[in-house]
Parts: sequence; C-alpha cells; structure tokens
Amino acid sequence: MQKVITVSLNGNAYALDEDAYARLSEYLDRSARVLATNPDKAEIIGDLEQAIGEKCARYLHLHKNVVRGAELQQVLDEMGPVDDEGAAGTGGASTGGADMSGSGLGGAGAGAAGVGGEGAGTQGAGATAAAGEAGAAPYGAAPYGRRLYQISEGAVLSGVCNGIAAYFAIDVTLVRAIFIALFLVTGGLALLGYLVLMFVLPYANTSEEHAAARGLPFNARVLVEAAKEKYAQFRQSGEWRGTRAQWRSEWRRMRATWRSERRRMREEWRAYRRYGNRPGGVPPPGATPPVTPVRYTAHVITGIVIAILSLVFALIGIVWLFVLLSLLTTGAVLGFVLPFSVPLWVTIVILVLLYQIVAWPIKSIRRAAYYSMGTYHPAWVDAWDGIFGLAIAAGVLWYGYHHVPALHDLVDHLTRWWYDATGTGGGAWT
Amino acid sequence: MALDSKFSPIRKGLLEFLVLKIVSGTTVYVPDILKRLADTEFATQEGTLYPLLSKLRREGLVDYDWQESDSGPPRKYYRLTPTGRSHLGELDDYWALINKTISSLGN
Repeated sequence: MQKVITVSLNGNAYALDEDAYARLSEYLDRSARVLATNPDKAEIIGDLEQAIGEKCARYLHLHKNVVRGAELQQVLDEMGPVDDEGAAGTGGASTGGADMSGSGLGGAGAGAAGVGGEGAGTQGAGATAAAGEAGAAPYGAAPYGRRLYQISEGAVLSGVCNGIAAYFAIDVTLVRAIFIALFLVTGGLALLGYLVLMFVLPYANTSEEHAAARGLPFNARVLVEAAKEKYAQFRQSGEWRGTRAQWRSEWRRMRATWRSERRRMREEWRAYRRYGNRPGGVPPPGATPPVTPVRYTAHVITGIVIAILSLVFALIGIVWLFVLLSLLTTGAVLGFVLPFSVPLWVTIVILVLLYQIVAWPIKSIRRAAYYSMGTYHPAWVDAWDGIFGLAIAAGVLWYGYHHVPALHDLVDHLTRWWYDATGTGGGAWT
Repeated sequence: MALDSKFSPIRKGLLEFLVLKIVSGTTVYVPDILKRLADTEFATQEGTLYPLLSKLRREGLVDYDWQESDSGPPRKYYRLTPTGRSHLGELDDYWALINKTISSLGN
C-alpha cells in the first residue's frame, strides 16, 4: 500500500504516489529557481504544470487514476530541464533568490496529503502554496501601486467597468449599474467617457498587471490564479455567445497588436537611452527591470491627447458638414449670405480647401502621437477614426436634436427639404 | 557526435528563428511546435520552449489566444504578431545572406 498525494497542476487535480510527488516537486522547485529573475515566472510555471498534467493524462485510465514515480519521471524526461538562458532578458538564471524560492513550492499547489489505498482517488485537493511563494520572486516586492487597467476577462464590452471594479474592489455588477445610470442621466454622454477610457487605459495582460489592477502584491499569485480559473469557467459556460466572443477576440487582438508594438518601441528606446547605442542593446548584468510607471503614465497622457484630437477632428468634420448642408439648402453659409455672386461649385471647392487646411495640422499631430506610442498602422487608425467619428457624430446629433433648439430646427428644416426634394411624404421624423 | 556538439550553440541560437517560422503558418499549440521540431536536428523540450515563447511574447513577436479543448483546461494557441512577421522577414533575409556567404567562400 502506498500513500497518494493530490496536487493541483495549473488548476487541475492529479493524484500522485509519494515517489512521483517527490520528483515533481523537485522539478518544479528547480524550475522556479532557474526562473527566479524571469518576469513571466508564474506564467511559465503554469504552462509547465499544464504540460506535465497533459502528459500525465496519458498514464491515467478509468481503472488507474494515480501517476507512479517511474511514469512521472518519464514525463519529466520529456519535459527536459528548464532552460532560461538568454530568455530571461536580464542575464539568465541567477542564484541570488535561489534559497528563498526553494523554500516555496514553486507553484505546484501541493495539496494536503490525502491518505487512501492505491487506486482510490483522493479528493484532498489543495491550494496552499501561497505562503511559500511569498518573497520568492524578486519582482514580488515590486513597487506597484494600485493602478487602473482594463480587464478583459469576463468583460461585457472592453473591460473598463471590470477594471474599475477591480480597482475599488467592488462588485463589477454595481459598477455596470452605476455606469448605466450615468448613461441615462447624462443623456448618453457617459458612453463617450467610456470610449475615452477604453482607449486610454491599458489592458492588464501579465500576472503582475493583474495584481496591480487589484492593488495586490504580485506574490499573492494564488489569488490571481483563482481569478484566471474563474475566467476559464466563465468561458466554458459562455459558448452561447459565440459570434460576439469572436468579434471581441478579434477586436482585442487588434488592440493587443497595437500595444505590443508600442511596448517594443518603448523598450528599444529605453535601452537606447540607458546603454547608449551599444550593439545588440544588451543590458549589463544587474540592470534594473523596466520601470512600469513611466510606461503607464506616458500611455495615459498620449492616449488622452489622441482621444482629444480625435474628438476635435470629428467635431470639425461635423461643423463642416453642417456648413455644407446649410449652403446647399439655404444658399448661405449658416445665415451668412456671400457678398458677391460666387458660383455654388466654387464655394464648395473653397469649403473643401478650408476643411483640409484646418484638419491637416490636427491630423499631423495625431499621427505624431501615434508614432510616439510606437505604432502607426494607417488602416487601423482609419478604421478607428471611422468608428470614433461615427460614434461622436451620432452622439452629438442625438444630444443636439433633443437639447439645442437651433439644431432641432435645422434638422427639421433639412428633413423637410429632403422630403421636398425627393417627393416622399414627410413628417415621420418630426 | 562531434559535429553535434560543435554546432550545439548554433542550433540553440537558431531555435528562436525556427519557432517563429513554425508559428508564422497557423496558430499552434505548444505540443504541435515540439512535434514539428522533433524529427529535425532541433528537437526541443518544453523546458526550453516555454521560457523561449514567453520571451518572444515579451518582445511582442508572438502572442497567444485561449482556445477551448475537449479534454482539460483551455489551451494557449500561439500566433505571430505583425511585429513578429516583419522580424521573421528580416531573419529570413539575414539567413539567406549567411548561406550565400558560406557557399561563396572557399571556391
């Protein structure tokens, strides 16, 4: 008879015999030590755990549900030793934090040992690795304050409400309810705020950022893992939302591309600034990890600038459209009759030129802002312009129609003119 | 065997290039990458590949999407980002250049 130990590998329970358990925890400890300086340590360990779990599944059947030592050794031989050489970015494996990380269980949420006969699946699943993990990673004590991020896991639209909820540690449903209330009270303006936030706030991608979004120290990793698990469950239960989920993942991919591009440029620039134009830009050993607050702040400021410029740009477009329409319908530019008889087409050409002259510097500044963030994909920017512009145009029209009498009259006037011109029956709009 | 160890650092350096090449086709799951490499001189194990992929992701060259799996938890499927694609193009050109240099010498 042998004791059976149940462990959680990246969120799934596996039953190991004692020999297998010893081998596995030795492997994961060693991996954690090698990855001690790797910023993605938690994620890599999770990946490794999942791979080990999938390989173990090979040895498990209906009537054999415990992994034996020899089988686990076979799995570990296939996995190979964790090799972080060159991958760590800041000088490979270090032995500095080895002692500390060795004392933790390296992420193998090793559970309470359930005692049972071989073959009897023990249910003593556990997730108690948190204590050992504390202080293991050098990034654990990183000076992350609480930060506002978008969190796409479990988001309805883009994750702004989700991020706000995480920031204030309140229920996301409450935030959504407040947002909807604001939307109704402000007559739709809250949506504009949402759009701006959606554009300005970075997504929480890494475990560190997820922790920062909740104001947790990074080494409270188990909690974040739990959140991830919840997300997995959420996704499994959400198959009915097929098309929307697809659309969302497409959208997110677009934004992820944009973000990674920006990050790469910023890192290159930072390396250049710090180490001069050294070939390869290899940081000297012992260099400090990239400082995230700078990135965050710069992103927010540039995002605000771009959002404001987009807004101005869209408003100019709307004003121009109104000028053009008023010229066509009344023969005068917003009530101002042209002093001498210029042909209509010349006036239109002049208007187009005026528009280009006004819009051009704004376009240029905005393009520069995109560049400074490290990205400029013309198609992407145009697509964004289109969506943003349409949203603003719709918002302004709707707001103006209901709250500004002059605009209301103008729209009515335009619709009447349209019905007169096309000969269709009017009155439906008014 | 002597050749094998002599070229070991070169193989190691080229691994990143090959991984990018594999990822460039379709989105792939890590065992697919390993399978593709297994029959070549570049046979690799998870212990090497996961840290490499996480590095490539940090550099913005690859990214992953979660996909449901019939058996077990959702899986990460990796794909090339546009940055990764342009980087791969540069690597391809550079590799062609090296090949040209090697074959042009010694004639």
